[in-house]
Amino acid sequence: MAGATSAAADRKIVAFCCRECAYAAADASANARTPLPPTVRLVLMPCTGRVSPLHLLSALAEGADGVMVAGCLLGQCHYREGNFNAVDRVAFVQRLLKSVGVEPERCQMFTMSAGEPPRFVAAVREMDRVIVGLPPLPRSEASGNREVPLAAARGAA
Amino acid sequence: MRAGVFLCECGGNISGVINLEPLAAHVRGLDGVVEVNVNQFMCGTEGRAMIEKAVEERGLDHFVIASCSPRFQGPTFERIARELRLGENAVAFGNIREGCSYVHGHEPERAQEKAKKIVEGAVARLHHMSDLPRHRTFLNRSVLVVGGGIAGISAAEELAATGIEVHLVERQQSIGGSMARLSKTFPTEDCAMCSLAPRLTGTATNSRIHLHALSDVTAITGPPGEFNVTVRHRPRYVNEKCVGCGECAAVCPVTYPNDFDFGVSERTAVHRPFANAVPATFAIDRKGWSPCKTACPVHTSAHGYVALVAKGRYEEAWRVASEPNPFPSVCGRICTHVCESECTRGNVEDPIAIAGIKRFIADHGAPAELPAPLPVFYDEPIAIVGGGPAGLTAARELAQFGYKATVLEALPVAGGMLRVGIPEYRLPRDVLQGEVERITALGVELKTSQRCGTDFTVDSLFNDGYKAVFLATGLHQSKDLPIPGLDQKGVLRAVEFLRAQALSEQMTTGKRVVVVGGGDVAYDAGRTAFRCGAEEVTLACIEDERTAPASSEEIEEGKEEQVAVEYSLVPIEILGSNGAATGVKFQRCTLGEPNERGWRPPVPVEGEYVELFGDTVIFAVGQAIVDDFTAGADGVTVERGQIGVDPDTMMTGRSGVFAGGDAAAMGPWTAIEAIAAGRRGARAIHNFLRGEQLVPVWDAEADKVKIPHTELEPFEPQARRIMKTLDGVARRTTWEEVRLGFSEEDVRQEAERCLDCAVCSDCKSCVTACPADAIDFDQKAWDEEITVGAVILATGHQEFDATRKLPLGYGRFQNVLTQSQLARLLAASGPTAGELKRPSDGQVPKRIFMLQCVGSRDCTSSGNEHCSAICCLFATLHSSLIKQHYPDAEITIGYTDLRAPGKAHEEYYRLVQERGVRYVRGRVGEILEEQDGSLTVRMENTMTGSKSEEPYDLVVLSAGLEGSKGTQDIARVAGVQTAAAGFIREFHPKLAPVDTQRAGMFLCGTAQGPKNIPDSIAQAKAAAARAISMLSTGFAMTPAQVAASDLEVCIGCGVCEASCPQTAITLTVGADAHSVVDPNVCRGCGICAADCPTGAIQLGGFSDDEILAEATV
Repeated sequence: MAGATSAAADRKIVAFCCRECAYAAADASANARTPLPPTVRLVLMPCTGRVSPLHLLSALAEGADGVMVAGCLLGQCHYREGNFNAVDRVAFVQRLLKSVGVEPERCQMFTMSAGEPPRFVAAVREMDRVIVGLPPLPRSEASGNREVPLAAARGAA
Repeated sequence: MRAGVFLCECGGNISGVINLEPLAAHVRGLDGVVEVNVNQFMCGTEGRAMIEKAVEERGLDHFVIASCSPRFQGPTFERIARELRLGENAVAFGNIREGCSYVHGHEPERAQEKAKKIVEGAVARLHHMSDLPRHRTFLNRSVLVVGGGIAGISAAEELAATGIEVHLVERQQSIGGSMARLSKTFPTEDCAMCSLAPRLTGTATNSRIHLHALSDVTAITGPPGEFNVTVRHRPRYVNEKCVGCGECAAVCPVTYPNDFDFGVSERTAVHRPFANAVPATFAIDRKGWSPCKTACPVHTSAHGYVALVAKGRYEEAWRVASEPNPFPSVCGRICTHVCESECTRGNVEDPIAIAGIKRFIADHGAPAELPAPLPVFYDEPIAIVGGGPAGLTAARELAQFGYKATVLEALPVAGGMLRVGIPEYRLPRDVLQGEVERITALGVELKTSQRCGTDFTVDSLFNDGYKAVFLATGLHQSKDLPIPGLDQKGVLRAVEFLRAQALSEQMTTGKRVVVVGGGDVAYDAGRTAFRCGAEEVTLACIEDERTAPASSEEIEEGKEEQVAVEYSLVPIEILGSNGAATGVKFQRCTLGEPNERGWRPPVPVEGEYVELFGDTVIFAVGQAIVDDFTAGADGVTVERGQIGVDPDTMMTGRSGVFAGGDAAAMGPWTAIEAIAAGRRGARAIHNFLRGEQLVPVWDAEADKVKIPHTELEPFEPQARRIMKTLDGVARRTTWEEVRLGFSEEDVRQEAERCLDCAVCSDCKSCVTACPADAIDFDQKAWDEEITVGAVILATGHQEFDATRKLPLGYGRFQNVLTQSQLARLLAASGPTAGELKRPSDGQVPKRIFMLQCVGSRDCTSSGNEHCSAICCLFATLHSSLIKQHYPDAEITIGYTDLRAPGKAHEEYYRLVQERGVRYVRGRVGEILEEQDGSLTVRMENTMTGSKSEEPYDLVVLSAGLEGSKGTQDIARVAGVQTAAAGFIREFHPKLAPVDTQRAGMFLCGTAQGPKNIPDSIAQAKAAAARAISMLSTGFAMTPAQVAASDLEVCIGCGVCEASCPQTAITLTVGADAHSVVDPNVCRGCGICAADCPTGAIQLGGFSDDEILAEATV
C-alpha cells in the first residue's frame, strides 16, 4: 500500500462535462488559472443527456475511482431536458453501486451555468475530496479490470 | 489507421508546464501513430502547413491535436481536416491547456503524467472514429426579428435592404421599444423621438418588412435555414379601419396606470401609447371578461356600468346595465348578485356594492321617455306563456330580433314572482311596472288574466297561428309537508299568502306568527306578516345558523325588524285547538350527509322537542309547479316538478314549444337566472324559426378571466359604502321601500373602488363613439405559422425593479422616481409636456438628488453584479436637461465610480459638471420621507468617509438594466441560454458576440447586455450581416454531429422516439419497425443514444466506443 500522498496522486476521476455549461465553465476557470486537483480528467460531451450508465460503470470498471457528470443548471439545458435524464441515470448508477457494495458517492452529478466557473471548481474539488478519502477501487488480478458488474450496464440504459 | 499527433506549445502556455519532448517520445510508441510533431502555435499558418505536409507525405488519415480546449480552436482543425479531404470526424483533441497546463501549473510532475494520459485518450479515440455523412439543406431567405426596439428595427431595415423578407414581431402594440420612451439622448442631447419616429414609419412602410405588433413568438422548431415559427397574434379589438382620431379614448371610462410612462400618468383602456406609434391604430387593453361579468348569469358588464358611474355617466351606465337585462331596477334591488361574490376587490376586503350601484343608475340614469316600438321583420308570431322575468325577457329579446311576441299572463298583473312573490317594501310596484312598460313599449303585446289550460291551450295557440311557444309559468304553489294539522284555521302557505297580499293588499294575520322555513320566501312571509298586523314573528328552519339559505340582506333586515329565528328544528305537528292553529311542535335536528344534489337532509335528535306558539302558521318550505298548462300540450312533460327541456335548445318534447325560468330551471330559482333563461329561450326560438344556429343559445365564456389581486398595481383599502335603510322596528308597519339607495356622492365613491381588474370594462362606449366603425370586440387571438431561415433576437432590457431596494423608498415614497420615469416627465411628448413636476404636489423641485448603481454593481442578493453601462450618462443627461430648463435647480449625483467611456462621453460629463451639477462619490444608507413629501438622504461620502444627512425635494434612482421579461420568454422558446441578470448568452463573448448557441439564431441590442443606442444599432447591423452571410448561398450542410440508427441492430422499441426533445426521430411501421432520424431536425444532444437499450442509435462523433475509448485510458 502506498502512502496517502502517492495514493491521492494515483486516483482518477472522469468528469463527463457538457459542452454548453460545464466544459465552458471549466475553460473559464482554467483561463483564470484556477488550480484544480490533477485527479480529474475531462471528457467533452455534447450534453449530459448523452451520458449513459454504460459510460459511468465502464469508467469505474476500467480505471476510474470516481465519475462525475457536470451539466447545465436544471431547466437551462441547451437541449431542454438532457440534464434531467442525466440526474436520473446518476441516481440509477448510485443505487446499482450501493447494491454491489461500492460507495455510491463515487458517482455524482453537478450542475452549473457556463458563467459560474467557481461552481465547476468547487464541484471538482468536492469530488476529489471524496475520492481521495476513499480507498482505490479494488482491481481484479487476472484481467486488470475492476470488479464492478458490467453486465447490467448495457441493459440499464 | 495512420495517425498523426500534433503537440502545441501555445507559445509557452503549454510548454511552460509540460515538457513536450518526452511527451512526444511517449506518443510515438502508441498503436497507429506514424507521425508526431511539436509546434509553437498549431492554430497558426505554420501549424496548418505542418499538418498539410504530414498528411501528404505520411499518408495520415486521422490526427490528434493536443492543444487548447476543443471548444476554442476545435472548429479550426476540423475545417483543416475537411479541406484536406479527411472527411468529418477525423480529428481528436487532447485538451492539454485548459485541461492540464493552466490548472496544474503548481504540480508540473503530475501535469506531465496527466498530459500523457490525455493524449493517449485522444489517440485511443481515433481508432473508433469514422467519416460521418452530411446532407445539403435548403435555406429559406427570410428572417424573423423578435423585438421592435431600435435594435430590432435596425436589423430589419438592414436585412430588407438586401432583399431578404423580414418578419418583425413586437409584443407591445407599437414598435419603438425603450428608445421611444426617452426624452433626449446623450451626449448630443437630441430628441429621441425625433430621430426614432422616421425609422418607425420607414419600418412600417417597408414592403419587405412584415410587422406583427401585439404578437408573441410561441414556438420555434425545425432546423436552421428552415425554422418553423409560431406567432400568436393577440387581439387589438380595433381593426384596420382605425384612423387614429382618438374619439374612443375620449369616452373610455377606465383609468389605468400608464405602463408606457412607467406609471407616472394614467391612461384609458383603449389607448395608443404615444402619438407616433406604429402601427398608428389604437388598441384595447382587454384581459377578458371581468369576474363580475363572468359570474352574472346574463353576463351584464357590471365592470362597464361601474366604470361609467365613477365618471358620473349614469344614462350610459343604464344602457350597459339594461342591454342584456330588461330589469336593471329590479336586479339593483333583489338580485342575488353573484357578481359581488366574484369581485376581485372582494379577495381582500368587501367587494364593490355592484347591486347598489346598479339600483342607482336604474333610479337616476334611465331615460324618462319610453322606447319607440321596434319594427317587425319576421311574420311568425310567438306566444309567451307567463309574464314573469323569464317570459318578459324572452319577449323583449324576440322583439329585438324582429318578432311579434305576445305575453299571456294568468294573473291580472304582469311581473310574475317579482310582482306577487317579492313584497312591495323590497321592490316597489311602480319600479317594476316602469320596466314592464319599457318592454311593452317595444311592441310586445301583454294579455293578462289568460291562464294556460283554462283560457287557452298550447294546441289552441298553434291553431291561432303562433309559430312558437315559450312556457315560463314559474312555480306558483307552495309545497306542503306531510304533518298533521295542516287543515286548521290560521295555517297559511307563503306563496299563496304573499300573492294574495300583493293582489289585494288587505291580508291580516294574528299577533304571533310562526313561519316554517328559513329561505328568502320565509323572511318575505314573516316580514310581510308584520305589515299585516303581526307583533311577533318567529322563523323556524331545519338548517343551522351557518347554513341558513336566506340571502345576507334578508337575514340582516329581518334582524333589524326583530324577526326571531330558531335553527335546527324540523316540524312534526301543527298544534291546535277547536280547529284553529295555536303553534307548531318541532323536533330538534342536525343536518345529515349531503346527497348527490348537495342537499343535507335533517336528522332528528331523539327526545328533543320544541313548541313554538302562534295564532298564524305560515309554511315556506318550497315551491311547486302548477302543471295545468299540460292539458292540450301533448309532448310537454313535467318531471320532478320541472318541465323537461333539452338544455342545448331549450325545447320541450314538443317541436316549437320551449320552456325556461323557474318552471324549467337549470340553475337556482332566482330572478337573474329566470332572465338568463328568457334570453336563451328567445335565441333558441329564433334559431328554430330560422332553421340555423344564428345566435349561441348559451353565452360562450371563453373570454372569462380571473386576475389575482396580487397581479394588479398596489391599491389602498377602502371601506364599502353602506346603504341607508328605514329604521328597523318603525318600518314594520309601512310598505315603504326599506332600502333607500345610495346618494350620488356615495355611489361615485363606491364605483371608484373598482380595481379595473380586466382593464377594459366592456362598456362599449368606444363602439358608439368610433366614427370609423373600427372597434371589434369579436377579435380573437390567432396563431400564424411562418418559415424563416434565421432568427435575430432583439428583445431588449427592462429597468431593475427598484422596490427591491427597500431602504431607498421607491414605491413607498411618491417623490422617489427612477431615471426612466424622469425621462417621461422630461419628454416634450410626455404626460407633463416636459415640465418637471414632482408627483406629490405638482411643484417644480429645486433640490434634486440622483443615486447611481441602484441594483447594479451590487453583490447583495437583491441586486445585480454587473455595471449597467448607461446610467452614469443617463443621470448626467437628465441633470443637464433640468439645469438648462431650471437654472436654479441644485442637482447632486451620488455615484460609485463615474464611468464615461465612449466617444465624446467624458467631454459631455465635464461639460455638465461645468453647468453646475454636483457629483459626490458616495453610498446612500437610506432615504426618509418628511411630512410634506420631501426627502432626507442619509449618505456616506466615500472620498472623505464623512456621513451626511441632506434634505431634497426629489430623488431619482438610476436603476440598472436587466434582461426584459420578453428576453426571458424568447430564450425559453428559442432554446438559448440566459446568463446573469437575464441577458441572453452569446456564443463566444469575444469571437462570436452576436451568435447564440443555436445555429441560425443571432442576438443584438440590450437583450445581450447593457449598452447604449449606437452600440445597439451597431450590434443589430452585425447580427443582420451574420444572417445575410448565412442565407446568402441558399444552401447549407447538415451538421455531422447528428444521431443515426443502425437498422441491423435496432429492435424498433421506440424508446428513442419518446426521448427525443426535438421530435427528430420517427418509428417506421410494420414487422421490421425501426427508428429513423431526420438529420435536419436532430440537434445532436445524444439523449436517444444514452437511452437506446441495444446501442443501435449512436451520435455522430460521440459513439459509445469513442467516448469509452477516451474515458477508460
